[in-house]
Amino acid sequence: MNSTELIATEQTNASNGNGAAPLIRLSGVTKVFLTDEVETHALSGIHLDIREGEYVSIAGPSGCGKTTLLSILGLLDTPSGGSYALKGNEVANLSFAERARVRNREIGFIFQSFNLIGDLSVFENVELPLTYRGMSASDRKALVTEALERVGMAHRAKHLPSQLSGGQQQRVAVARALAGRPAILLADEPTGNLDSRNGEAVMNLLGELHQGGATICMVTHDERFAQHADRTVHLFDGRIVEDRMAA
Amino acid sequence: MFGGLWQDVRYGARILLKSPAYTAIAVAVLALSIGANTAVFSAVNTLLLRPLPLKDLDRLVLNQVLREGFDPYESSLLELQAFQQRSHSFVSIGAARQRSFNLIGRGEPERIRGASIAADYLTTLGVKPILGRSFSGQEDQPGGAAVALISYSFWQKHFGGNASAVGETLNLERRSYTIVGVMPQGFDLPAAADIWVPLQVNIDSVPLNERAAFGYEIVARLRPGISLEQADAESKSIARQLEQEFPQLRRGWTVTLIWLRQALLGDYAGRVNKALVALMGGVGFLLLICCANVANLQLARGIGRTRELALRRALGASRSRLVRQLLTESTLLALLGGIGGLLLAHWIVPLLAAINPIQGISLADYFRNFNIDGRVLIFALCVTLATGILFGLVPALKSAGEREVMPSLRQGDQHSASAPGHGWLNILIVAEIAVAMTLLVGGALFVRSFNRLQHVDLGFRPDRLLTLKMILQESKYSEHRQRVAFVDQVVERVKNLPGVLSAGTTTNIPLEREITYDAVFSVEGRPPPNPKDVPITANRLVSPDYLKTVGVTLIKGRLINETDRAGRPPIVVISEELARQAWPGKDPLGKRIKRVRPGQDFPWMTVIGVIKDVKEDLFNYRINRPVWYVPYAQVENNFPVNLVVRTSGDPASLTTAIREAIHAVDPDQSISNVMTMNENLARVLVTERFSAILMSVLAASGLLLAALGLYGVMAYSVSRRTTEIGVRVALGARRLHVLRLILGQGAKLTLLGTAIGLAAAWGLTRLLVSLLFEVNASDPVTFVSISLLLISVGLIACFLPTRRALSVDPMIALRAE
Repeated sequence: MNSTELIATEQTNASNGNGAAPLIRLSGVTKVFLTDEVETHALSGIHLDIREGEYVSIAGPSGCGKTTLLSILGLLDTPSGGSYALKGNEVANLSFAERARVRNREIGFIFQSFNLIGDLSVFENVELPLTYRGMSASDRKALVTEALERVGMAHRAKHLPSQLSGGQQQRVAVARALAGRPAILLADEPTGNLDSRNGEAVMNLLGELHQGGATICMVTHDERFAQHADRTVHLFDGRIVEDRMAA
Repeated sequence: MFGGLWQDVRYGARILLKSPAYTAIAVAVLALSIGANTAVFSAVNTLLLRPLPLKDLDRLVLNQVLREGFDPYESSLLELQAFQQRSHSFVSIGAARQRSFNLIGRGEPERIRGASIAADYLTTLGVKPILGRSFSGQEDQPGGAAVALISYSFWQKHFGGNASAVGETLNLERRSYTIVGVMPQGFDLPAAADIWVPLQVNIDSVPLNERAAFGYEIVARLRPGISLEQADAESKSIARQLEQEFPQLRRGWTVTLIWLRQALLGDYAGRVNKALVALMGGVGFLLLICCANVANLQLARGIGRTRELALRRALGASRSRLVRQLLTESTLLALLGGIGGLLLAHWIVPLLAAINPIQGISLADYFRNFNIDGRVLIFALCVTLATGILFGLVPALKSAGEREVMPSLRQGDQHSASAPGHGWLNILIVAEIAVAMTLLVGGALFVRSFNRLQHVDLGFRPDRLLTLKMILQESKYSEHRQRVAFVDQVVERVKNLPGVLSAGTTTNIPLEREITYDAVFSVEGRPPPNPKDVPITANRLVSPDYLKTVGVTLIKGRLINETDRAGRPPIVVISEELARQAWPGKDPLGKRIKRVRPGQDFPWMTVIGVIKDVKEDLFNYRINRPVWYVPYAQVENNFPVNLVVRTSGDPASLTTAIREAIHAVDPDQSISNVMTMNENLARVLVTERFSAILMSVLAASGLLLAALGLYGVMAYSVSRRTTEIGVRVALGARRLHVLRLILGQGAKLTLLGTAIGLAAAWGLTRLLVSLLFEVNASDPVTFVSISLLLISVGLIACFLPTRRALSVDPMIALRAE
């Protein structure tokens, strides 16, 4: 299957609603790292479905495999075994270019350290994934402006990241993740580099996005922030030990 | 203060030792540049600066007579007398005439280079014998004693350096000369002389046409306060007077004064001087490229040391204190590079000496000794210190100049795409590429010019030709028929040797560095259109088979053959250029031409053949100069005889057999200048070869260093931008996007550098115009091809860093947490 087919099936899957196939389905996913002939099982037999509109947090102690799971979900890494279907389509074995294309269109990343590019303005940072999509300048402008307005950063569009506070930088990072209207937002410890006030503000922003219909999968080791999600998946030693819905 | 400096030195040494790879690369780059500068300066020092065994050389000038304002000739007694009587610019004037002597009675007959000199010649040069005495005024009078001075090497060779040589006699040209003195070691003016005898001429008693004959070297010492330009102006004024007084002899002739040092280099057109200046410019450019390279390395290290330097500032170090520390480090590095450079120069200098660009033959011991003396060492030290400051200053100011300490401390060594100092890296690499571009264009122009010169049609086939010179003794061959008989017998014997295809003689072999013979000509029924014109041709007197032997190309008519003997109608074979000048647009066959010389009447010669132009004249190698070939038997002369032999195999292997054949005709005949024609030609383009080799090596080094510099900057940039690239890939960037990002950055720098370099090269190559042959200083082929070369090399230099960027794992975006 190629990515063009994946995009073409978007409408069909979306129309299936919550009762249909999940947005993401991991079946028996394993990840093994080989270091000096020593096998490290980072993930073992992960079965996970994420449906459209869900807000899932993945929690667990350091080294339990949270980031590995997120990198597989974000097509930054490939599983050693099992299958990964995004919108009903198998994506584990796509080529480099196809994975880049799917990442660009279906997934929005929010990183712990924001990962804004210092040489680019706020506007250009948010615009970056859209330029890789080959979108026209006017379309890009409309989407970027909309995303920046949603996170309340439109007034800082011309600033450089170094001119913003940490909280503001993370809001810009959220705008960048949102701008391309991805199928799912993947957030990796989005409050890890923020003080509690700014952390809370970012969590509220994610909450608002969820309320607006966004599908979010967030990795966190902070129980307080995990509780913002509808559903929390607990990992321990590379296995899901608990998967519960919020009360 | 010195305690602090010592602390800086120790700390700098520790820092350099801590990064051996960085230190090694920087020292190697600096050594290359300082070594190249030192080596080329050693050549400049030897050729232009180092003292020679002549007193106050910077006051000594040489007079040249110029035909039609450009074609240089030696002087005559006419000019010598006029200067002696009318000039006020000189303290003293001396004259010498090159000669050669058959030395007999001391082993095998030997041809010795020598000179007849006026008594004032040595005093003008400021040279005195180391043993014995110089010539007295009386000895220099006509009929004076037969006395001689000998060179130091002659003294060593023939008398074992024994002081009793003074007073001994020499049999020169069958006349006995008493040795009165030994000249200092290395002194051999004029023209590598080994023996000097008095000139013994009373100018007033010399017939006018002989007084006006060229063949004298006039040297003069400028009066204090008189500049070369002033003396030259006065000399030209005297030449104008001579022109009016002797119009039949001097119409169309003027004079020019050049520094004696320039003349000794054989650099009459000033090309050696210009070439050396261009080369110094070239190595200077290489130095700039190296400095930019090392400055980039320093800057990159400075960015990596942001936290350390911020900490030092936090602890109270002033900006100037940090600058001093960083400059100490760069100076230490430069000193290491300087030591490496000197070692490299020590190795390069003999190579440079081997391709020595000088055309001159005098003072060879001095001009071929490119050794590294005190002046070169001081130059190397200055270059080293200047280099240390040049490449160290910007990084030091930049690294020590951050205003805010805390952000640097907080940021520490965290990688950032927009790290401070990155802009300077780009500026330096653009400058480096621009300088490399200029250097490459200069080098390419020199190489193209040299290539053109090398492929100039000589008009004959130089392969498998052996040449040698025979100067017939006047006492033995006083009559021309004797000389003709000698030539005939030698040619006949040599022609019959196994391995010889043909043989002939000429009075000058093409492009030789000896006195060559020219003739002013007159065309029957066609006086010169401009009375100021002095129509001149190379005058070659040749045996019947000479033209066939050297392989000229006959265009029409026939070549000289055995029937063209004395007593037969005078004939001549002319070159195309002479035909064009004498009978433009007309068929010259059957037309008549003759030599013109005041006081003498030469017969009309009928043109029997026209050949393709032959390069006969070394000085006028770049142009086609008229030449005629006249049967040796038909013109009375006492010119040297050059035997030219075409062989079926290696010409050098027949040397012994040919010597034996000559000695079978005359056992006392001396033979000199034995060499193949290709060996002779190898000495023709020495200046151009020197420039082309050096400039191309410099340009290639510049290109390599610029490519390494660009590679370094790009590799550094990729390493700084790894996280950014990971983030971009995580956001959906494909290989093409990453490729465009990195290669685009490299391409931008390369294109910008190339564009600036093009403009700079266009401006600077104007200065090379006089050194180029048949290549325009703004030759579009050179400019375009060098631009493409530089851009290609630039992109190749970016390729490895780009490959690294393409392999960046997007997971890095998560791992950076």
